[in-house]
Amino acid sequence: MSSRPAYFFLLPALLLYGTFVVVPILQVTAYSFFSWDNGIVQEFVGFANYARLASDTVFWAALGHNAIWVLLTLAFPLLAGLLLAAMLAERSPRTIQVMSAIYFIPRTIPLVVAGIIWGWIYNPLFGLLNYGLDMVGLGTLAGAWLAEESSALASLNVVGAWTFFGFCVVIYLGAIQSIDPSLYEAADVDGAPWWRKFRDITVPLLNNSTLFLGLYAAIEAMRFFDLIWVTTQGGPGYATEVLTTHIYKTFFLVGDFGYAAVLSVVLLVIVLSLSAVAFRLLRAK
Amino acid sequence: MNRFTKHSQTIILAIFALYALAPVYLVLLASMRSESDLFNGPLSLPWPIETANYLRVWTESGFSTFFWNSLRISVAVTILVLLTAPLAGYAFAKMRFRGREVLFAVFLAGLVVPAPSVIVALYGNLQVMGLIDTHVGVILPQAALLMPFSVFMMRTVMQEVPDELIEASTMDAATPLYGFLTVVVALARPGLMSLTLIVFMFSWQEYLLPLVVLQTETLKTIQVGAASLQGRYGVDYGGIAAAGLIAFAPLVVLFLAMQRSFVRGLSAGAVK
Repeated sequence: MSSRPAYFFLLPALLLYGTFVVVPILQVTAYSFFSWDNGIVQEFVGFANYARLASDTVFWAALGHNAIWVLLTLAFPLLAGLLLAAMLAERSPRTIQVMSAIYFIPRTIPLVVAGIIWGWIYNPLFGLLNYGLDMVGLGTLAGAWLAEESSALASLNVVGAWTFFGFCVVIYLGAIQSIDPSLYEAADVDGAPWWRKFRDITVPLLNNSTLFLGLYAAIEAMRFFDLIWVTTQGGPGYATEVLTTHIYKTFFLVGDFGYAAVLSVVLLVIVLSLSAVAFRLLRAK
Repeated sequence: MNRFTKHSQTIILAIFALYALAPVYLVLLASMRSESDLFNGPLSLPWPIETANYLRVWTESGFSTFFWNSLRISVAVTILVLLTAPLAGYAFAKMRFRGREVLFAVFLAGLVVPAPSVIVALYGNLQVMGLIDTHVGVILPQAALLMPFSVFMMRTVMQEVPDELIEASTMDAATPLYGFLTVVVALARPGLMSLTLIVFMFSWQEYLLPLVVLQTETLKTIQVGAASLQGRYGVDYGGIAAAGLIAFAPLVVLFLAMQRSFVRGLSAGAVK
């Protein structure tokens, strides 16, 4: 069979993808090797733009925040999703459907709106969080959550977790439901308590899902922008600056084309490496 | 499982349900609250129930325009993806051709490319094409950025269509395209439904592209509108809540109505 029909089938998708994704990636890479003045290309400078990364403290801070974001995501929504899925799996099908729908709802809410809603919850004057702390007598813990450098990033991560844990529940549930029930029945005969079954059967058999979600979370943590931009825009100071907001500011606010391109390339290299690792590991299974 | 374990688990399940729903409930309350009612505490029931916030943002703050703009863009992106990705997915799943591996790898790589990483070049390109401040300038890049996910998902869907049926159809049909349209599309309908929902959702949620591409107020999308409302009238909480609700309600309704389709789509590519 000739290849012609296949190319004909591929052409529309390829044209769109090539024009608006592949070509811009190549351009960005090329831009990063030139000096720029007011958006006009000047001369080839080799790696001179890249050399600026070393002394750019905001860049390193941003990269650190992305890394912290990954760790917090692995520690909280992923683990919560695993536990909730394991608990939910033993309930009636109706309960499973209703509860996983509830957990999943935040994922359908745009991050812009999530940022606005949680911005209020964290509001120091009339926000729900301080109000709630006050009500249970923990008023001394109240703070300006998003306005203080020490708490801003972690507070935002709770919002990220809010939109993500339901996704983890759904993925884990699918995997748990495909585990052979006779394994649990055998453990029941032995009189094993719930947490032992969880530790010795559920968790090891979900390794693949954990790997998938972990890598997914890591890639998402490098990509996210909306949530930060509508809440703190990287502040206070640079406390919540991430790579994407740093790119945005460098390009749209400073107008530094060459360096914005360098930051874009760094971001691309990181996400592409992560996804290469993901595919290698997941395919090996 | 003993009683104690079961009950404590029920409590944990309930606490997380509260975590998921409380913020949504809070916005709902705030959107129906009048301004004088605001400082009775965030959990007090709004009384009297106000529809003024909705009316105000819908008519005065331009949210009817933003809403239709978002709908237009999201529907266009969805149609564009539906016209292109299933064909490509089918080619990767069922057809042999030279360069298949390489081309598929090129698509796969795009799965993780974030919009902010290409915006530096994309913005200039859109300017050259005269697409800045037009809906087309949002629709085309957005469909392109969603293409890898869509092609990948469609490939998985198409792989499940039995070869015998395809052979039968291509024997009868005059062209491969005709066979594709009559048999494959019919058999892949659940997958196409999932793709439609997911692409629509991603497109509706998108913020960065419309934010930088659209400048005219009457062209902006609902996410951009909601975000800027927050900045401009920092004190109109009822209005912002109503705007936020308008910005996410369609997605929540779609999701609740078609949960299964949604979940199937989002977990496409996940391993069990």
